[in-house]
Amino acid sequence: MTIDPAKRLADALGLQALGDEPVDVSLPGGGTLAALMLDQKGAWDRLVERHAPTAEIRDKILRNRFYQHLSQSFAGSQEYMAIEQLRALHESGRYDLIVVDTPPTRHALDFLEAPQRLADFLDRSIIRWFVKPYFSASWTTLRLFNRTVGFLFRRLEEATGVSALAEVSEFFTAMAGLFENFEPRVRQVYELLRAPQTGFLLVVSPEEQVLQEAEFFLTQIERLRVNLRAVVVNRMHREVLVRGRAPQRRTLAAIFRKLGVGPDLVEALVSNFEDYQALGRGDLLRVEAFQRQVPSSTLLLTVPNLASDVHNLAGLEAFHRHLFAEAAA
Amino acid sequence: MPVLSEPASLLQRRLWVVVGKGGVGKTTVSVLFGLWAAQLGKRVLVAEVDGAGRAAWLLGAEPAPLGMARAVRPNLSVMSVEGSAALAEYLRLILPVRRVLDVVFSSRIYQYFVAAAPGLKELMTVGKIWYEAERVDAETGHRMWDLVIMDAPATGHSLQYLGMPKAAHEVFQTGLVGRESQRLIELLSDPVRTAVHIVTTAEEMPVNETIEMYHRLCSDLQLPFGFLVVNRLHNRRFEADKLLRLRDRLAHLPQSERAIAEAVLDRALEEEGWSAIHAQYLHRLSEQVPLPRIELPFLFAEEFSSQHLGELVAVLAQQIAGLERASRPHGFRSARDS
Repeated sequence: MTIDPAKRLADALGLQALGDEPVDVSLPGGGTLAALMLDQKGAWDRLVERHAPTAEIRDKILRNRFYQHLSQSFAGSQEYMAIEQLRALHESGRYDLIVVDTPPTRHALDFLEAPQRLADFLDRSIIRWFVKPYFSASWTTLRLFNRTVGFLFRRLEEATGVSALAEVSEFFTAMAGLFENFEPRVRQVYELLRAPQTGFLLVVSPEEQVLQEAEFFLTQIERLRVNLRAVVVNRMHREVLVRGRAPQRRTLAAIFRKLGVGPDLVEALVSNFEDYQALGRGDLLRVEAFQRQVPSSTLLLTVPNLASDVHNLAGLEAFHRHLFAEAAA
Repeated sequence: MPVLSEPASLLQRRLWVVVGKGGVGKTTVSVLFGLWAAQLGKRVLVAEVDGAGRAAWLLGAEPAPLGMARAVRPNLSVMSVEGSAALAEYLRLILPVRRVLDVVFSSRIYQYFVAAAPGLKELMTVGKIWYEAERVDAETGHRMWDLVIMDAPATGHSLQYLGMPKAAHEVFQTGLVGRESQRLIELLSDPVRTAVHIVTTAEEMPVNETIEMYHRLCSDLQLPFGFLVVNRLHNRRFEADKLLRLRDRLAHLPQSERAIAEAVLDRALEEEGWSAIHAQYLHRLSEQVPLPRIELPFLFAEEFSSQHLGELVAVLAQQIAGLERASRPHGFRSARDS
């Protein structure tokens, strides 16, 4: 399942459109493969439909303007819903393995922290302030007698307009019934993400900027208490050495002249080779420095830069051979 | 309908938004734009959103604290922008009472609200960019920056950022948030002040995303376009057939030479492979994304350094000049001439 808002997985699997329901991908061999992409709006609606205590409350939520924007356009709600879907898939018991493709590092951290933030957001003591209808007596009392709250709400009213605030309040009131079951569900996912049978894979390329972000992720692993099983370094260039040394330019040129290759092509071949050798040296230096930051219990795999773009099943198969040949060795 | 732009008029705008899929080099391109515009005498700010301070790092400087500008070259400053820091800064501007602010910032409800309120961080980020683009230097009475370059997060997320003011405006039509988001929408969609540049590499997935993004920017968001920047292009061509025939003849070589000669041919085939792929996707882009295009070469460097930035700025300058010549008669006036 991919929670990345960009439609990459569909591209990679050669599927026209991925939906919220798992789609089977035809594969040779014994196992089965299904793919799905989170449909944010649909996921929220289904959640409301599944858990709303009455049809009246369900309709009230679905019609609420604040809800409509929350479910459609607000960044961050995607992570909340991904968690919900992951939990449902896990509980269905339909799969031996669930692979979750998260957005790039910073937002992948969002994904890991989403359950906790959701729990905070739904914290009873906070929600209590919102779940009363905005014009009710308890809000008025709260505003009069609690200075901080009174201050905050006067500012909020100025900032948002009273009608919008009333709408937000109505949203929380209607959602209150749904929240009853939220906290245990969020806790379940929190535990699932940290369970011994759950592993994290960090995929990087040997570029400086990518490795810097990855190092940041490594520093967060302990705090997040996740189990990092492996790091995959993709698109790695390799320097070719002969008896531990880089071959000399004139040696190379002489070999190709001997084969009767014209001077222009010899020059082009040798220059191109030396450029790729430089990439190989740089990649190796950066990856070695990076490897020192990776815990020794974590597997580090490298995949060479393939001479083609990987975006279909055939490309994925070639990639797969590199990845698992190394893992098996 | 797409809001297409004349390259010459692009250079007069005050806000450039740089978007694209993750990993295609948005920050590098933002920095290149910044260096180029600064060389023309414009006072430029590169604002990196939700980044790791990479813009500063590329220019050999330590990143400044969030929301603070750091001068890194003559006429060029960089800044890291992040939503909750921007919100705190904004509240300081509209609520000048220090003691009250301390109470607000330390209250639990505020912390939760900021962390969890969907969309708030995105809205505040765009608000901070707007503030910098409109900011006036109190001492001189002039605008602080001639050009603000926003280095947006990866595609899916950057569209969410750019769509936030509209969403917020629809929910909060009255009140301060309604008014502020209206101002953000006006700036973002104004073809006199703003241009959105798309950065991509010429590969299947980034190109698909670029096409999708182009259409969404045309239809939902209706923002004014700038350049399409195609980054890291391989463009050395070898005749693959010839290389393969040559490889068959390596059998005649002594063992010691054969392996290394094979490696040389493999690298040439690799380069030809990428160059062919890139040519194919450039063609697809020219059919589907009709924006003035800048092509930046892949650099074969052991380590990317400021020398390489200089090389790329020279390429950029040359290509913008070419596009600009092609789009006369408007002509380009630099900040110095105006």
